[in-house]
Amino acid sequence: MADHFVDDIEKFEAKETAHTLPVGWVILFWALILWGVYYFYMYTPSLGGWSQNSALEESLQK
Amino acid sequence: MNEYQYDHQTVKGFILSSIFWGVVGIVIGLWISIQMWNADWNIAPYFTFGRLRVVHTNGLAFGLGVGAIFGIFYYIVMRLTKRPLLFPKLARVHLWVFNAAIALAALSLFAGMNQSLEYAELEWPLDIGIVILWVMFAVNIFGTVIKRKEEQMYISLWYIIATVVAVAVLYIVNNLSIPAGLTKSYSVFAGVNSANVEWWYGHNAVGFVFTTPILAMFYYFLPKSTGLPIYSHRLSIIAFWSLIFGYLWTGAHHLVYTPLPDWIQTTAIVFTIFLIAPSWGSVVNGYYTVGSDWSKMQSQYLTKFFIWGITFYGLQTVQGPTQALRVVSSLIHYTDWVPGHVHMGTMGWVTMTTAASMYYIIPKIYNTEIYSVKAANTHFWLVLVGQLMFSVTMWITGIQQGALWKATNADGSLKYTFYETLIKNYPFWRLRTLAGVIFTVGMLFFIYNILMTIRKGSILAASKA
Repeated sequence: MADHFVDDIEKFEAKETAHTLPVGWVILFWALILWGVYYFYMYTPSLGGWSQNSALEESLQK
Repeated sequence: MNEYQYDHQTVKGFILSSIFWGVVGIVIGLWISIQMWNADWNIAPYFTFGRLRVVHTNGLAFGLGVGAIFGIFYYIVMRLTKRPLLFPKLARVHLWVFNAAIALAALSLFAGMNQSLEYAELEWPLDIGIVILWVMFAVNIFGTVIKRKEEQMYISLWYIIATVVAVAVLYIVNNLSIPAGLTKSYSVFAGVNSANVEWWYGHNAVGFVFTTPILAMFYYFLPKSTGLPIYSHRLSIIAFWSLIFGYLWTGAHHLVYTPLPDWIQTTAIVFTIFLIAPSWGSVVNGYYTVGSDWSKMQSQYLTKFFIWGITFYGLQTVQGPTQALRVVSSLIHYTDWVPGHVHMGTMGWVTMTTAASMYYIIPKIYNTEIYSVKAANTHFWLVLVGQLMFSVTMWITGIQQGALWKATNADGSLKYTFYETLIKNYPFWRLRTLAGVIFTVGMLFFIYNILMTIRKGSILAASKA
């Protein structure tokens, strides 16, 4: 088997930083989950009270 | 070395087939872009916008995109499992069935046979053919992965598995229909349900044809071509699982402000915004990887394809979620910003990364170098300029359209007629055609380079034999 047919799996990933997560990315990850919880509550009619229809009614009042 | 055993002929066959369908799809794309500002380019009935557009989208998504995915996946899987495909003959048959299916698909769309479901236009006999095609592919991929000679499964294999599983589920569910003759059928879903299933399919086609397979290529070919190892294994894995978990919930963001229940729209928006994190996980991982030696951007010509490719992926995955937000969606939904968004993904991220993967594979198969790095660089700059011009003109005209549609007089009546808003698009639509021409010239450099590399490799192989 010619050499270039074999991949050395060890060379695909860095050793020293294999388990590192950039801090900024971790903050983004959790912040988006928290935002999701907030948005889900606010824009679900049976929870936050907002609904497409009530928003339309309101816009017609103006 | 046994060529047939390692079956590079099939890989090459898929790459050349996908390039062929790519040319067909891009030429038709140029044609329909002209039809937008000059109706004389419609030739009834076969070459009208309604028929050509579906040939363009299907030809490029399934002909160029999926064809490239088949070939490149076979290549990656053989190398990461350290063994030949489990069924090399089946893969060869798969190649022929694929080309027959795409040819029949194009003909049926030209003939006007259409299920009227976006990206799922093909009628039921072709759907059955495509399911068979996919099973042939899946059997080989899973068989080879199960019988692998390398215990550790690199991240690209996970993306490949996700692609094979998800596309199968999406395609079958959205195409469930009751036949009414050979060329006509009725979907089993109706009304709001039908819309919801369609966009669950439609959006995840983007997810599992234009995202996960391209990430599989990115994670494989970036370290291979630069010699730089991927920065963080943990980041790769967390980004993968959170992307897969999040994607399948997002389809309903295509149905914001429609009769679809509010809570379903909200759920889709929440997951869509969340997807920024896993998407940027891959972007950051790519940047940090090349960040260990930025000189690779100059010294290795493929690096910039991957880095700019992942940059457009990063821009896409912020732009898309932003568009899903109710306030933004109400302005830009149904406008030209939507095709503007899609084309930054397809022309920026997908085509750039796929072309770079082919630049890597073809010389490797022949144990030679690329025919011309200079031509590859010219290709790069032309597609970059063409794509940016295309996307940016569509953003501008899209926002303009949305604003004009929403403008009202003091008494609440609409300020502009539809026709008035339409003609304001014309200068932008002409610019888009120009952008398309620039992109196409870039792709011609690519095709020429690939064909000349094959020629060079064949002569080299013949002289050695």
